[in-house]
Amino acid sequence: MRTGALALGVSALALVLAACGSSATSSSSSSSSSQALASSCPLSALAKAGKTVNIDFWEAMNQANGATLQKLTTQFNSSQPKVHVTLVDENSYTTIWQKYVAGLSSGQVPDLAQLTQTDLQSAIDTRSFLPAQSCITAAHYSTSDYVPRALSYYRVDGVQEALPFAVSNPVVYYNKQSFVAAGLNPNDPPATLSQYLSDAAALKAHGSGTALVLDSWHLETWLSTANQLFVNNGNGRTARATKAVFDTPTAKQIWTDLDQLVRSGDAATNPSSGPDAFDNLLGMGTGQYGMTIDSSADLGTITELLSSHPNVTLGVGPFPVLSTKLRGGVEPGGSAIYISNKVPAAQQAAAWEYETFLDSPSSQATWAAGTGYIPVRKSSVQTSTIQSLWATHPGFKVAYTQLVDGPTTLATTGAVLGPYAAARTDVIDAEESMYQQGVSPSTALKTALAKVNATITSYNQRVGTS
Amino acid sequence: MAPAEVGSRRVARRSRRLREAGLGYLLVLPALSVFGVFVFYPFFRNFKLALYQSPPYPGLPSHYVGLHQVGQVLTSSNFLQSLVTTFLFVVLVVPAGLLVGLFLAVVAHRKLRGIAAYRVIFSSTVVTSVAVSALVFYSLMNPVVGLLPWLGISPHPPVLESTTWALPAVAIMAVWQFIGLSFIIMSAGLQSISEEVLEAARVDGASNWTVFWRVTVPLLSPTLFFGVVVATIYAFQTFGQIDILIGYQNAAYEHVNVLVYNIYTTLVYGENSGRAAVMSIALFLITLVLTLLQLRFIERRVQYAR
Amino acid sequence: MPVDAPSVPNGAPRTRPDRKSAHPRRRRVVRQVIRYTLLTVGAIIVLFPIYMTVVNSLLAPNLLDRQPPLLFPVHPQWHTYATAWSQGHLGLYLRNSIIQTLIIVAGQVVTAVLAAYAFAFLRFPFRRTLFVVFLSTLMIPFEVTMITNLNTVNSLGWYNTFQGLTVPFLATGFGTFLLRQAFLQIPRDLEEAAALDGYGHWRFLLRVALPLARPTVAALAIFSFLGSWNQYLWPLLVTGDNNNIRTVQIGLKALQGNQLQDLNVTLAGAIIAVVPLFVLLVVFQKQLVRSLTAGAVK
Repeated sequence: MRTGALALGVSALALVLAACGSSATSSSSSSSSSQALASSCPLSALAKAGKTVNIDFWEAMNQANGATLQKLTTQFNSSQPKVHVTLVDENSYTTIWQKYVAGLSSGQVPDLAQLTQTDLQSAIDTRSFLPAQSCITAAHYSTSDYVPRALSYYRVDGVQEALPFAVSNPVVYYNKQSFVAAGLNPNDPPATLSQYLSDAAALKAHGSGTALVLDSWHLETWLSTANQLFVNNGNGRTARATKAVFDTPTAKQIWTDLDQLVRSGDAATNPSSGPDAFDNLLGMGTGQYGMTIDSSADLGTITELLSSHPNVTLGVGPFPVLSTKLRGGVEPGGSAIYISNKVPAAQQAAAWEYETFLDSPSSQATWAAGTGYIPVRKSSVQTSTIQSLWATHPGFKVAYTQLVDGPTTLATTGAVLGPYAAARTDVIDAEESMYQQGVSPSTALKTALAKVNATITSYNQRVGTS
Repeated sequence: MAPAEVGSRRVARRSRRLREAGLGYLLVLPALSVFGVFVFYPFFRNFKLALYQSPPYPGLPSHYVGLHQVGQVLTSSNFLQSLVTTFLFVVLVVPAGLLVGLFLAVVAHRKLRGIAAYRVIFSSTVVTSVAVSALVFYSLMNPVVGLLPWLGISPHPPVLESTTWALPAVAIMAVWQFIGLSFIIMSAGLQSISEEVLEAARVDGASNWTVFWRVTVPLLSPTLFFGVVVATIYAFQTFGQIDILIGYQNAAYEHVNVLVYNIYTTLVYGENSGRAAVMSIALFLITLVLTLLQLRFIERRVQYAR
Repeated sequence: MPVDAPSVPNGAPRTRPDRKSAHPRRRRVVRQVIRYTLLTVGAIIVLFPIYMTVVNSLLAPNLLDRQPPLLFPVHPQWHTYATAWSQGHLGLYLRNSIIQTLIIVAGQVVTAVLAAYAFAFLRFPFRRTLFVVFLSTLMIPFEVTMITNLNTVNSLGWYNTFQGLTVPFLATGFGTFLLRQAFLQIPRDLEEAAALDGYGHWRFLLRVALPLARPTVAALAIFSFLGSWNQYLWPLLVTGDNNNIRTVQIGLKALQGNQLQDLNVTLAGAIIAVVPLFVLLVVFQKQLVRSLTAGAVK
């Protein structure tokens, strides 16, 4: 009886409230799509502010990198009275992104956010950032001194969306002493993937090993060095990517080689995130590993860490490409700085001021020297800071050289896609299944392709473009 | 009585009634408006959200996709696995939680010296919050600290990152945290059984054991049933334990992703309110069935008592 | 007593049959020992996790991974508690939790008392329907409403505010139901007598109904105290890194580090957070039991 009455009450209310609630979802669809395109850079707002403009910068730089960023920021804050920047250490790119997106609902967004390379299309899709292009135009800011591929990574469909800040790419880290012990030339790191495999075998036979971090830039980077696309529509740069195109003989070759490397026992794998992320680099200190591939961004921290290990002489080599005959190049990794268009005009202008400071030739020289990142300005290289650094630590030059080398094509510039992080997870899951469940490289590749395609399709549906 | 007088009295009565009704609405209004805004409106809006595909970021348009999304979510492996995990969790938590509570309630039923202290201890987990109990077990199940390595239990990956052991680990924690409530419910049930009935059974020569199974347990069955419903709802709403002990970025995440946690991660990390709304409706329907069972049971008990 | 009648001879003293009283004293002692043993085993099961937490919180970090584990805090590090208090901002978080909880408890008690009074003592159209509406809120778990509630709170600008933390919980269907039952127990005569004395509804509520329903009000207050103090999901959603508003439960999560050397601090934080509630448990045990079993006893 009571149950009946309850059910009746509930369903009666359902009717009434459904009627009231009908305007609920339509309100969220009112945001204008033209906002991002129409937004212009409010440069003059800073002068009109009349007092110091305070801005927040969400960044993810740790250890040596964090200290260098703090140093530059302090320098900026004390160099002029108009803008004061507060660094907010969010610890990781993932945290910044999650908090930023959550902040779009709650209204808690920073003036500037450091977003990792893979967040580019997502950032565009939020329509909440001021394209750097508008400020470049408004301020007649010259970009000719930028390292071309680093700059063009952040250009989509002809619009410069952000300015690169912390640029890196994968390099070979190796212990020269292990190379000597294995009868290898300590000044001749592997230049190709097949040499990498044979060096790994030699190291293994002589008591040390190789670490292969499980990260999906494996496939992407080897593809870009072979001048091949990762997704369609010009790697997502001429139009939104709708499917992955990495099911090529080249990709199969890459995974077959890597599979052999791991399954022969010549290399050990470990996750790219979590508590074990730095194990391969630290393993070099203990003598466990003689060689690994990792981001050049870790160079500063690693140099510091390994300096206390007498049995390690750190060597840095370029990324071991699939074949030196293929005209490709490494894609630029790292992160860029984005200005939010959800903050007052004066703060947007202040953010531009700070961003261009960080990207100035001298700041980039300081930045690169302190961290291992590549200076994004060509003229930074001429500074005494960089010249003396490269003289004493030639390893710091490797990543720069390989980014400047080779043609700047849609393939070498790298891919842009909305669900990049999810797609990378799909790829890495498939790669892991090769090593751990013995799935064949071609099957793993097919699985990866199908999963990435599904990921792209469902994302594009949600954005409303298909 | 003059007609005018009757009229004025009627008017007075009517105005008193009107005033009473007005006061009634006024008194109900505060609670009702909170319910309207924060219970009914969001509840019914789920049915609408379920039909729209949400954009990946806030502030962008959502698209009408109708029941397509509902079907898609309900048949997705993510949702189905979540359901299986939820039911597995319920199975792990409910019987164990109730049995421990019953055991303690039986043991603490007799009046003995110092029994009050024991009762306080047994009900104490009621006040240990989700966060506190999660941290307590976080250290108990630590791969380096404490008991597990000493007992020789050191699986790789560690318990709280293991796709096999993470859910049982959270369940053990949940059982422990539920002991207090379970004990309180069972004690109340035991106290409601008249001592005379038990005494009669004993006098008839039945052993304590027989009395317990033949008399106490049947008489306790309403309490046990109530306990099952409460425990099931408790298990269904387990969230903080999973968030603190395991978390979204854990390798074992997919294996502890109970429905409530799935709704949260879909909403917060997936920014997908449409999908989350479909799962919310599913959660509601499951809880509704549980609640109706409870209501039906109470009705039956009332009739029985008469 | 009538139940006993058939088996107990009239007028006979109420003693047990002979075969059971062979060695009554020894049997009783044995039973007592068994009972206390079981009670103690139970107490150990319940208290062991908390005890180990206290022990570990007092150990120096380098003793934490000792095998076999230390079951007693050697060289207790009391300063860990000071560290947890200051490093974990626990003072601030506890303050926030107290404010949040007091607002919710007060709000729930007030709205429930008012509504329950209306349902119990006043006559107005749709009273039954409205009561059913109140009851139906019990069928909607909070998790089902959180998607839109988060939206609502954000669009009201209540993110990171006490309004956001508390307003959605200022009414309770369960509490209204409990109080209405309690009010209905009040004899009609009392109501009429009060009316003769010229008591209006407000005066009757404050002077008669509320004092008589005091045990139920207390039970409701305890119940909602426990519920809101232990809230985790909602505070996690509506408070950010802003330390000014975080509750202690969320603060504890933040205190959970990955480093072994911080574990004792984390655990000390957990103990600090639970002690006030243990005190409450000891003081208000009766009301607590009453409120938690209200649904069962009906």
